Amino acid sequence: MSDEYAVDVQSVTKRFGSLQALDGVKLRVRQGEIYGLLGPNGAGKTTLIRTIVGLVAPTSGTVTVLGRRLPDVDVLRRVGYMTQQAALYPGLSVEENVQFFAAIYGADADVREAIEFVDLYDRRTSAVSTISGGMKQRCSLACALVHRPKLLLLDEPTVGVDPQLRVQLWDRFRQMADSGVTIIVSSHVMDEAERCQRLGLIQYGRLLAEGSPDEVRATAGTQNLEEAFLKLAGRSES
Amino acid sequence: MSGHRVAAITRRLLQGFRRDRRTLALLFVAPLVILGLLGYLMRSSSVPAVGVANEDQGPLGAVVASALDRSTSISASSISASDGDSKLKDGSLAGYIVLPANFSQQAQSGVIAPEVHLEGSQPGASSPVLQALQQALGALASQAPGAVRFAPKVTYLYGGPGLDTLDYFGAAAIGLIVFFLVFVITIVSFLNERSQGTLERLMASPLRRGEIVLGYMVGFTLLALVQSIEVLVFCLAVLKVHNQGSVLLIFGIEALMAIVAVNLGIFLSMFARTEFQAVQFIPLVIVPQFLLSGILFPVSSEPRALQVLSDVLPLTYAVSALRDVMLKGADLTWPSLDLDVGVVAGVIVLLIVAGSATLRRRIA
Repeated sequence: MSDEYAVDVQSVTKRFGSLQALDGVKLRVRQGEIYGLLGPNGAGKTTLIRTIVGLVAPTSGTVTVLGRRLPDVDVLRRVGYMTQQAALYPGLSVEENVQFFAAIYGADADVREAIEFVDLYDRRTSAVSTISGGMKQRCSLACALVHRPKLLLLDEPTVGVDPQLRVQLWDRFRQMADSGVTIIVSSHVMDEAERCQRLGLIQYGRLLAEGSPDEVRATAGTQNLEEAFLKLAGRSES
Repeated sequence: MSGHRVAAITRRLLQGFRRDRRTLALLFVAPLVILGLLGYLMRSSSVPAVGVANEDQGPLGAVVASALDRSTSISASSISASDGDSKLKDGSLAGYIVLPANFSQQAQSGVIAPEVHLEGSQPGASSPVLQALQQALGALASQAPGAVRFAPKVTYLYGGPGLDTLDYFGAAAIGLIVFFLVFVITIVSFLNERSQGTLERLMASPLRRGEIVLGYMVGFTLLALVQSIEVLVFCLAVLKVHNQGSVLLIFGIEALMAIVAVNLGIFLSMFARTEFQAVQFIPLVIVPQFLLSGILFPVSSEPRALQVLSDVLPLTYAVSALRDVMLKGADLTWPSLDLDVGVVAGVIVLLIVAGSATLRRRIA
């Protein structure tokens, strides 16, 4: 495959017992692209993201990340992952949390920059257990990008985040994509989908449709993404 | 006060348990395991093995020897006096009694003085021996004319009458306290790592499983070492627990126990989803180990089947090592101590491997 793709998922299937979480997913994400994974809860978005960071081994199919076929521990050095819940150590300060993840990735020098990037420098000494939910989310982002990953996976990063902060976070995502970072972000908020260059619609573990927001609307023949999504999802159901 | 609302809480509680089969099973299985074990240990604990060397040239020695044989509070066997000490050392006897050559003559003269040699490091093994001897000598009263005074000469291989209960249990308790506390702290914090989602993050990083397990081990071991020093100093300096061996060696054994506890905690946390479930490992893993470790009941007096179990539990070896050092003054030239330390070290390696191996499988 060419290096043009940061992520190349080929016919990936994942079963958990009787549950078919992913069903022949084929997905390619270009370098420097913001790719949005859309779908209802339980559609398989999280499983797909966890497959791309190597936390889930596919039942069948292959995953290639930054030119390396998974499983491959070394490629994880260049991948950042932000989970749905802000996975942080509540007893440590903002700075200590970022320092910890920096140390794991061998990026100790970039701690300050990462904290400034998410506007938490003033609160860097506060214990994570004492800061607000939005700040936790930002701290979590700082932990995910402190090692300057080439690929960033964000699993519903803006759930429970107020609109103002959501705009702020997306500015940061945009900034990173402009500097060449590939971002895969899952969401079910449609106005976020508009900010992605390409979208993948997932339901029942299958990729229903793919394309830019405009292409998705055109395929569905609707005016907005929300309707497009409902229409495409409904079509697959019948 | 609304009965309806109270009932709602009660119902919710029971409904939750219906889904948590494991807790339910524990609630009803653990008491049987613990009580069964305790009952089995207490009822069937065998009586101390005692050697009897009858060197009496007169008739009375044989009378006492056969009375000892019939005694139910000890299990007597005939030995020669010269074998006695080595049998005490290898642990096959809790004590031996020598009825001297002039035993019958002594009886005539009114003072009889059999020799009693006791191993001395096991609490509870000495007094039945002395009791049985008293009773056996009582059998003489009908045979010997006049008043006879009993003056047994008691010697101890280790310890002696100066040791109190704390001296016996203190040695084991030093290790046990560290083992228990370190285990609980490790299992809960490793579980936190899982429930707060940071373990997922770690697993998606270039960290290797072995690195996580070793990192945890070193961190908790450092804490545990500080705790070990505190416990040791308190026991030796404040409680004045009897110690005959090297303090450094005791500390070394304690440190090994702490490392076992850390790794056992990490390993078992893989099998718990919640802190609640983690705490359930205490009655299932820690209490039976405690009962079978020889702290309360000497392993050699346990029923066969339980001895096999005791022999595979690391705590048994750690307790035996600590007692050897503190009560018997053992050092590393003793093969029995080397064996104990070696087994504990082996268990550590086993647990590290098992912990790393289960980590990835249990991440989800």
